[in-house]
Amino acid sequence: MPRSSSLPPRPLRLIAGAALALSIAGLVVLVLCSILRAATGAAASSVDIWRLVVMTSTQAALTTVLSLIVGIALAWALNRLRFPGRDLIVGLFASAIVTPGLIIAFGLLAVWGRAGWVNEASLALTGQPLELPIFGLGGILFAHVILDASFAARILLARLDAIPEARLKMGQGLGLSAVQRFTVIDWPMLGPTLPGLGAIIFLLAFTSFPIVLLLGGGPANQTLEVAIYAAVRLDFDLAGAVQLALVQIAICSAIIVATAAFAPISAATGPSRPTRWHDAGWVRSLQWTILGVGVVGFALPLLAILADGIGPGIVDLAQRPSFWRALFTSLALGAGSAALTLLLALTIGMARAATASRLARTAIGAPAYAYLAVPAVVLSLGAFLLVRDMGLLPEFAAPVVVLVANALLSLPFALATLAPPLEAIATSRGRLIRSLGLRGWSQFRDVEWPLLSRDAGVVVALSFCFSLGDLGVIALFGTEDFTTLPLAMYRALGAYRSNDAAAIAALMLLLTIAAFTLLPRLFRRSNDAAS
Amino acid sequence: MSFKHFALAAALSAIAVPTLAQDKPVLTVYTYDSFAAEWGPGPALKAGFEQTCGCTVNFSASEDAISTLRKVQLEGATSPADVVVGLDTATAPEARKTGLFATHDLTLPTLAINWADAEFVPFDYGYFAFVYNKETTPNPPKSFEELIALPPSFKIVLQDPRSSTPGLGNVIWIRTAYGDRAPEIWQGLKPHILTLSRGWSEAYGLFLDGQADMVLSYTTSPSYHAIAEQDGKYAYAAFTEGYVPQVEVAGVLKTAKQPELARQFLAYLVTPEAQAIIPTTNWMYPVLDIADTLPAEFGTPPANVLTLDETVLDTSLKAWVDEALAALQ
Repeated sequence: MPRSSSLPPRPLRLIAGAALALSIAGLVVLVLCSILRAATGAAASSVDIWRLVVMTSTQAALTTVLSLIVGIALAWALNRLRFPGRDLIVGLFASAIVTPGLIIAFGLLAVWGRAGWVNEASLALTGQPLELPIFGLGGILFAHVILDASFAARILLARLDAIPEARLKMGQGLGLSAVQRFTVIDWPMLGPTLPGLGAIIFLLAFTSFPIVLLLGGGPANQTLEVAIYAAVRLDFDLAGAVQLALVQIAICSAIIVATAAFAPISAATGPSRPTRWHDAGWVRSLQWTILGVGVVGFALPLLAILADGIGPGIVDLAQRPSFWRALFTSLALGAGSAALTLLLALTIGMARAATASRLARTAIGAPAYAYLAVPAVVLSLGAFLLVRDMGLLPEFAAPVVVLVANALLSLPFALATLAPPLEAIATSRGRLIRSLGLRGWSQFRDVEWPLLSRDAGVVVALSFCFSLGDLGVIALFGTEDFTTLPLAMYRALGAYRSNDAAAIAALMLLLTIAAFTLLPRLFRRSNDAAS
Repeated sequence: MSFKHFALAAALSAIAVPTLAQDKPVLTVYTYDSFAAEWGPGPALKAGFEQTCGCTVNFSASEDAISTLRKVQLEGATSPADVVVGLDTATAPEARKTGLFATHDLTLPTLAINWADAEFVPFDYGYFAFVYNKETTPNPPKSFEELIALPPSFKIVLQDPRSSTPGLGNVIWIRTAYGDRAPEIWQGLKPHILTLSRGWSEAYGLFLDGQADMVLSYTTSPSYHAIAEQDGKYAYAAFTEGYVPQVEVAGVLKTAKQPELARQFLAYLVTPEAQAIIPTTNWMYPVLDIADTLPAEFGTPPANVLTLDETVLDTSLKAWVDEALAALQ
C-alpha cells in the first residue's frame, strides 16, 4: 500500500518531533563532551574490550530472545483468559520492570536461593537441599527475564486487547483454529511491536549492572557497564570511560537502527470488548498452564518482597517524617515525569507517524532509545558537570535533573507503546482524515486520542512507576534534603537497617502495582465518558 | 503536594539559603551518604559543632567516599567544599596526590592508633573481617587457608573491588598477608565465593538472608546487631593472618572558603564529645581511648594488625585488583 499518498501532511508535527529528537541527541553529546572536557590525560584503560563486548552481547541477546518468547506466551494466555483478579495479575506483571533490579534479585533469592522458599520446602519434604544454579549466567538471565518478559507481556497484551471486535467476529465466523487465529489475527498486532520492544530489552540487559554483579557469581560474568563504572571511580580515567561508553552506545545504536529497519507498520486498532471467543479445550489448558507457570515464576519473587517487608517495620517507618518527605517527593516526581514522558512520546510518535520515509522515522525515533545506552555512571557524571557548567548549584538543580532524566529513561518504553498504534492510525485512517480535511489538532482530539487513551494510560503508569523506582542520576549532587523512596531504601540498606529497606521496597512495589492497576483504568474511563 | 508546589518550594529554598548564609558563616562538608543520614553521625556532630563555632554546618552527601573525592577532583579550584570527611586508607594516598588538600596544622591528642599525617585527621577506624552467624556456623575458619580447605558448599560473599571499599580492602588484606601467594589464595577462594556484589549493602543483605555462611564486613558489624538489635548471634571470624585497618580520615581543602572553621571542625572530630557519638552511629571504633563511654559490645579491637606501606599501596593497588580478578576468571 502506498502510504505516502494517504498520509495527511503534518509539517508542524514533523518539525516538533525532529527538534525533540535533535535535542535528545544533543544532550547525549553534551554529556559526553562535558566529561571529556573534565578529563585530564589520555585513556589508559587496560580492559579487554572485545571479550567484554562478546560476553555482554551474548547475555543481552539471550535475555532478549527468552523475554520475547515468554512475553508473547503470557500475553496470549492473558488475552484469552478471563478470571477474577486478572487486572491484579496484569498489574503485578507490569510492576516488575519498574521495580529496582536489586529488589527483584533479592525477591528471586528469597524464593529460589539457598535459604529460599523452594529449598526450605525441599528440605522439609525430602531432607535434601536443592542445589539450584541461581548464581551465574543462569541467575542473571532468570532475573532479567522476570523483569523484561513480564513487561513485554504487559505491552503485548495491550496490543492484543486492542484488536477490533469486528475482526474477531469475522475470524470467529470463519472458524479459525487457535493456530490460525494467532497467525492471522494476533501476529499482525504483535509483530510490529516486537522490534522496538526487543531493542529496549536488549539495551536494558546490555547495560545491566547491580543484578549482573549480585547474581553473576564473580568476574566471569560482567558487562561493559561494570568496566565503565570502574574506569570512572577506581581509575578516574574519564577519557577511558567515554571511550568505553562510545563502544556501548555504538553497539546499542546498531541494534536500535537494525530493529527499526525491520519493523513493519502496525495493524489498525479499535475499541475492544472482552472477547467471548474461547479457544479449544486443550489450548485453554495450555493457556492456564502458561499463566500458572508465569505466576509462580514472576509473582512469587514479588510476593516474597511483600512478605518480607510488610510487618511492624512499616509502623516504625510511618512515624518518621523523613519517610513522608521521601514519599511526597517520589510521588511528585512520578506525576511530573509521567506527564513529561507522555508529552515527549506523543511528540515523537506523531512525527514518526506523519512521514512515510523509513529513514526519517528511524532518525526521529533512535535518539530516544540512545539515551538508554548511555551508562548510568557517565550520565550522572555528565549531568553533574553540565549543571555546574551552567552555573547552577547542583543541590538545587537536582529535582529538575531527576525529572528530566526519569522522563528520558521511560521515553523508549512509552514510544514502544505509543508509536505502533499511532502509525497504524495514520495508515488506516489517513485517507479519511485527509478527505474530511481535519486539522492537526482535531485529528489528535477526535481520531487519535480516543484510540490511544488505553495505551496512554499504560504509558503514564509506566513512567510514573519508573520515576518511583529510579535514582541513578544524582549520585554526585549532594542533596541532603532531597530524598526519594529508592534513595531512602539504599540508605537504609547501607546502614544495617535491612528491615527498613525491606519495608520501603514492599511499599514501592505496592504503589507500583496500584498505579498499574488504576491508572490505565482511569484513562479508559475518561475515554469512555468522552465518546 | 502537586509538582508545581514542589518546584516552587525547591525554588524558594534556593533563594532562602543564601540569605541565611549572610547571618553566619557556612562550613560546607562533603561526605558520604550514610555519614550524613539521619541515623549516621552527621546530625549529632553538626549540632555539637554548631554550639561553639558560631557557624552553620552544611553536609553535602555523595553516594560514598570515593564519590566525594571524585567530586572535589572534578570541581577543582571552584569546589564549594571546605572539608572532606570519610576518605580512608585506600583512597587517602590518591587524595594526597591530587594536591587539593592542605595541611591540617593541628596538634592531635594521643590517639588509639599510630598516626602521623600532615594532611589527614583520622576520626574512626575498623578492621575488615568475615562476619558469621554463630548458630549456623559453630566452627568458623581461622584463616584464609582454613577457609579454602572447607568443602565448596561453605559460601562467602565478597564485594567487587572495583566498586566497593571493603572489596578493595580484601584485595589489600590478602596481598599484605600473603604477598606473591595472593593469586593462589584467590584461586583457592574461588569455589567458595557466592558472588562479588556491587557494594557492601548487597553483600551484607545476602548474608543476613542466609544465602551465604560468611560475608566480608568489619570487626565492628557484630556490635551493631548486639547493640541496636540486642542480637548476639553474629561474630567475626578471628583470622590468624592478622587484619588490615580501614582508617577513616578528614581533610581540609586548599580552596576552602572557611579554612579556620574547617580546621576547628577537624579538631572537633577528635574531641571526646565527638568521638563518643561516632561508634554507635557509624559503627566503627573511636580513635580516642574513650573506654568509659564506649559500649562494652564493641569489645577490644584485634591486636595483630598488619602494617600497610602507603607508597606500595599507591603504586600497586591497581595491579593487585587486576591480579585478583584474573585469578577469579
